[in-house]
Amino acid sequence: MPAMIEVVRVWKVYSVGPVKVPALSDVCLRITKGEFVVLTGPSGAGKTTLLRLLYRDDLPTEGDIQVLGYDLGRLRQGEVAALRRSIGVVFQDAKLLPVRTVYENVAFVLRVLGTPRREITQRVFDALRVVGLSSRAQAYPAQLSQGEAQRASLARAIVRKPPLLLADEPTGNLDQAMEAEILDVLRDIWAGGTTVVLATHRADLARMLRRRTITLGSGRVVKDEG
Amino acid sequence: MLGFLIGEAVRDLRRAGRVAVSAVVLITLSLAALGGFWLLSLNLERAVARWRERVRVIVYLKREPAPSEAKALVERVREVPGVAGVLYISKTDALVSLKQLLGKDASVVAQLPANPLPASLEVTPAAAAATPEGARALLERLSALPEADEVAGSVDWVERLSQWQRLLTTIGLGIGVVLAVAALLTVTTATTLILHARRQETEIMRLVGASEMTIRLPLLLQGMLQGLTGAVIALAALVATHSVVAPRLEPLVNITLDLPQLAFLSPINVLALVLAGALLGGLGGWLARAKA
Ligand SMILES: Nc1ncnc2c1ncn2[C@@H]1O[C@H](COP(=O)(O)OP(=O)(O)O)[C@@H](O)[C@H]1O
Ligand SMILES: [Mg+2]
Repeated sequence: MPAMIEVVRVWKVYSVGPVKVPALSDVCLRITKGEFVVLTGPSGAGKTTLLRLLYRDDLPTEGDIQVLGYDLGRLRQGEVAALRRSIGVVFQDAKLLPVRTVYENVAFVLRVLGTPRREITQRVFDALRVVGLSSRAQAYPAQLSQGEAQRASLARAIVRKPPLLLADEPTGNLDQAMEAEILDVLRDIWAGGTTVVLATHRADLARMLRRRTITLGSGRVVKDEG
Repeated sequence: MLGFLIGEAVRDLRRAGRVAVSAVVLITLSLAALGGFWLLSLNLERAVARWRERVRVIVYLKREPAPSEAKALVERVREVPGVAGVLYISKTDALVSLKQLLGKDASVVAQLPANPLPASLEVTPAAAAATPEGARALLERLSALPEADEVAGSVDWVERLSQWQRLLTTIGLGIGVVLAVAALLTVTTATTLILHARRQETEIMRLVGASEMTIRLPLLLQGMLQGLTGAVIALAALVATHSVVAPRLEPLVNITLDLPQLAFLSPINVLALVLAGALLGGLGGWLARAKA
C-alpha cells in the first residue's frame, strides 16, 4: 500500500524564551491509505503538535514529512492551500461560525473554494446525512448540543470528500452518549474510504476502538500496535 | 464566487458598523471638498480662458499708412513673436466704431472738422504671451515698431485671475488631501475591526485551503465599497449644491467674470472622483491587512 503519511525522524522543539521544549523527538511513522489510526498518549505527549505538522500548520524543527505526496518541508503558499483542501480537520471545539446556520457553515467551505452554486446544496446535504444532522440544517450553532456542533464540524471537514481526516480530541467536550455518536460517525467516514487519524489522550477509548494505535510519550513513539 | 466575495464584504461592513459609517462620512467629506474646489477652479479656468481670448493690445500708429503699406505692416507685425493675430483699423474704421458706440449722440462726431482718431493695429497676443513677462516683452516689441505712436493694453489682471484659480486649486487639493488621509486612516481602522471580527472566518478559510486571494479580497472589496459609497454621496451632494447655488450665482458671475453659466464637473471628472473614492477605500482596506 502507498504511504499516505510518512514521518521520518521528526523533531519539533519549541523555544519558550530561553528554554527549549522538545514536543516531538525523533518521531518516525508511516500511515497507509485506508487506515484508521488512533494517536494516543497522555496530555502533553505531542499529539496535537504532530497533527499540526501533518496539515502544515507548522514546520518540524528537523526531519521530513510527506503527506498525500506533498513534501511538507518545501511547499509554496499555493501548495499549502492545495494540501489543506485534501485534508479534513476537526478539533475539540467545533469552531463553527456563530452567525451562520449549520447549512451555511458547511456550505462556507465550498463557497470559499469556488464550488458552483448548484453543486453546493447537494454536497452539503450529503455531508449532513453522513453525520446525521440533516434535520438541523437551519439551526444556528448556539441552538445545537455539543454533540451536534461537533457533527456539524465533521460535516464541514468531509464536505469536500478529502482522502484524509485528522481529528484532534473530537470527543473531548462530550458526554459518553455523544462520544459514541461521534465515534460512529468517524467509523462511517472511514468505511467510506477516508483515512482517519484520531488523536485522544484516553487510553480506554483507544482500546475500545481496536484499531492501530500509536502511543506517544514525551514526544516519542513508545508503542505502535494493532 | 464573486457573489460570495461581495456578500462577505457587505457582511463585514455591517459588522464594522459605526466605524465604517465614519469612514464613509470622511470619504464623502474629502471627495466633496475636492470636488467642490475642483468645480470652482474649473469655472474660474473657463473665465480665464474666455478673457485670455479677448485680451487685445492696441498699437496706435503715428500716421495712417497707404492701403498697400498697411497690408505690409500687418504682415510684419504678424511675424512679431507673441502675436497670434493682427487687425488693421483705419482712421475711418475707428470713426465708424466710435459712431456706433455713441449711438444717438453720434451727431457730435459730425461736428468735427477732421477725423481725430488715429489708425491702429489690434493685436491678439498668443497664449504664450499671456504671462506677465510675456505680455511685457510683447508690449516692448510692439512699441519698438517705427510706425508705433503709443501701445495700450495689458494682460496683467487676467494673469491675476489665473493665479487666483491656481491658488484655489492648491487650497482645494490641500484640504482634500488632509481629509483623504483622515478618511484613509478611518477605513484602515474599520478594516482592522473587520479583520478582528473576521478572524474565525479567516481561520476556517486557511484551514480548508482557501487561496490567499479569496481570504484577502473581501477586505479589499469592503474598503472599496466604503469608498464608492462615499464617492456617490459626495457627488450627490455636489449635484444638489450646484443645482441650487448655480442659478443664484450665475447673474453675479455673468457681470463680474462674464461667465454666463457655472458648469458642473465633466463626466471624466466625475469618474475620477468615483475612482478616487474606490482607490481610497481599497487602499485603506489593504493597509489594514498589511498591519494585521
Ligand atoms: N506553541 C507552543 N509553544 C510552546 N510549547 C508548546 C506549544 N505547543 C505545544 N507545546 C508543548 O509541547 C508539548 C506537546 O504539546 P501538545 O502537542 O499540545 O500535546 P498533546 O496534544 O499530546 O496534549 C507540551 O509540553 C506543550 O507544552
Ligand atoms: Mg492536544
